[in-house]
Amino acid sequence: MSGPVGVIGVGQTAYKRAHTELSSADMIWAAAELALRDADLDVSAVDVIVVGVAPDALAGENGVEKTAIFGAGKPYVRVNTGGVTGSSATFAGASYIASGRARVALVIALERMGQATTSQQVFNTIFDPVYEKDFPLTTITMAAMRASMLMRVYGYSERDWAEIASRNHRHALKNPLAHIRRDLSPEDVLASPLLAWPIHRYEACPMSEGACALVLASADAAAGRDPAWIQGMASTSDSYAMGDRFHRPEGTLVDLLSLQRSATRAYADAGVTDPRRQIQVVELYSPFSSAEAMTYPALGFCAAEDGPRFVQEQLSGAPLPVFNPSGGPQTANPVSATAMVRIAECALQVRGAAGERQVDGVERAVATGQGGATQFSTVCVLGAERPA
Amino acid sequence: MPTPVYVEGAAVEIGFGDASRNLSELIFDTVRASVDDSGREMAEIDSVVLAAHDLVDGRSLSSMVTAPAAGAYLRDEIRYADDGGAALAGAMTRLEAGHAKRSIVAAWGRSSEHDPDAFSRALFDPYMSRPLGLDEFVLSGMRAQLYLATDEAREARARAARRRAEAAGANPRALKHGGFRSRPHYPLVVDDMPLWADVVASLVLSTEPTPIRVAGLGQSSEPYAFGDRPLRVIGGLRQAADRALDEAGLSGDRLDVAEVDGLTLIDEALGLEAVGYAPPGAGLRRLADDPGANPSGGGASGYSRASMGLTRVVEGVLQLRGSAGAPQRPGVRSVLASGSSTVAGQTHTVVVMVAA
Repeated sequence: MSGPVGVIGVGQTAYKRAHTELSSADMIWAAAELALRDADLDVSAVDVIVVGVAPDALAGENGVEKTAIFGAGKPYVRVNTGGVTGSSATFAGASYIASGRARVALVIALERMGQATTSQQVFNTIFDPVYEKDFPLTTITMAAMRASMLMRVYGYSERDWAEIASRNHRHALKNPLAHIRRDLSPEDVLASPLLAWPIHRYEACPMSEGACALVLASADAAAGRDPAWIQGMASTSDSYAMGDRFHRPEGTLVDLLSLQRSATRAYADAGVTDPRRQIQVVELYSPFSSAEAMTYPALGFCAAEDGPRFVQEQLSGAPLPVFNPSGGPQTANPVSATAMVRIAECALQVRGAAGERQVDGVERAVATGQGGATQFSTVCVLGAERPA
Repeated sequence: MPTPVYVEGAAVEIGFGDASRNLSELIFDTVRASVDDSGREMAEIDSVVLAAHDLVDGRSLSSMVTAPAAGAYLRDEIRYADDGGAALAGAMTRLEAGHAKRSIVAAWGRSSEHDPDAFSRALFDPYMSRPLGLDEFVLSGMRAQLYLATDEAREARARAARRRAEAAGANPRALKHGGFRSRPHYPLVVDDMPLWADVVASLVLSTEPTPIRVAGLGQSSEPYAFGDRPLRVIGGLRQAADRALDEAGLSGDRLDVAEVDGLTLIDEALGLEAVGYAPPGAGLRRLADDPGANPSGGGASGYSRASMGLTRVVEGVLQLRGSAGAPQRPGVRSVLASGSSTVAGQTHTVVVMVAA
């Protein structure tokens, strides 16, 4: 990467089912104000604003980000890449800085899905209207198919999914911004209602609203501050058709090729060659436990066939990176913002500013994004050391 | 100074209601044409930057199916829910930053499969604005009331509309059959309105030198509420143009060609004034009398949201190459192209290109 980019400000609203007291513009402004305050800047210092909002249909408002436009006269663009909207917006802002066209970028992601009666009805409309919509295919059934494939191919069990979910929920107890804060045991998870076999309710993400904002800065604008540097970032898009991804030579549907390729590029830029040792925190965009399991081999933490053993290794207290210290998307999933929240949480960890959920000695953290039909993947490596 | 960025390939297709191809196929065909035009192989392209709106495409997260058609399979891809000009800016920053070496930039909109007026009405606040019947043409109508206050302006408007229609008629890429126009708000008339069409535009950009260099880029924005915007000038477009021209070391009145996006004829006239190609108050006269002002025919050649900025850029590229066909101007060395996005031109991108 040319032109180092640092995260110097983080702002997040609380994440909850609906912010009935706030308009969409209010939410954008609230997150932006917090991020700017964290960066000790006002909006006049911002050169470009990138706003991430995923499907308008979730909010029931068209072009909702335009109502919140502020700092008129500045470049102001919107990104919509589904689940990776938050990370795509961050990367877009980072490119403005790395190119030299901006010193400071404000990137904001908003999720307003509380205005939808049911998100799954909206998510059904992301699938083909003629061939798929009537199944009915939703993000839950889509994930369930992958989970069952992981169980058949690699030997994961329902217990593994419950263990992962329980760990994430317990981490969220330390995160005051999380939507769901409940001490759930694996047994509680397994006892929760089945949404689509093998996915139980407490393995699935909630419908959350909220906004997240980051202030990104060039090396000179970050001078005298304590930024989390973006050491590597990459995104990869894959085919939409799930059936096309079963038997192709590059990798199967559950090999998460798009994440694997993003990790390879981002790690190369960041100088990560041994992720188990060089990364201390991992914030995953995994709305389901099974989706988290798919990331382990893609991010280089284990071989695919060793995935179930890797789950047990985490539970054994082995010296491994901490996964989702914030609780992750199973405890708050403001879809448009979630991938940015992952970057925000990593930035807080690297800056030592994560409060009660702070992990000791974080030098480097990895944030992922996942979207579409598990076809869009992003990886962002953040660290304390400024890239050359 | 940013790393220079060059145009390697360009293509645009404007049609209407082609029942033999779905949206993905329309996108594939035009992107393919731009890659062929660049002389590059797909293996040499490592970035795809797109612009499209879900509610135009008629599907939530439409890039799930459209991005692969635009060449994004196992590539770095991002989709802007904005005008194609914003996507071009995003692609340029990637190239300038060294995040990519060569990028496809594509934008599209298929007016035959959505209701542009319903899309426009849904942009407004459901409680305070929609009940008033607001749509984006209301702003154009208000601007027109101010602009057309004199006999001279009304006379220039009639001539400008005539010349715009003639230019579109001569443009081999313009829509020749089909399309439709929205019902005009007073004092707009049918000839002022855009011709809704199915449009896909695509470019291939690179940092390797070609005969066409992107010499300047500028972006800006305007307030949301119409009441907060000055009507007699498009301030955001002026700022974006000032930035792009400053970077290019040119002034608006020295450009050979201006391809300016505007929702209506009046908006195109104000656009020419905002970018400095025409003096204040002279936009309609330039549209009527100057063949270098929107030689493609502008919105009369076919219009669809998200694709217009990039379409104007493609027309500019063809002018610089000397391959624009009937709209070709002689000896073109510099072109300015602009794109604007919802709501009623709230965000603007201006690109200045020169013969390298």
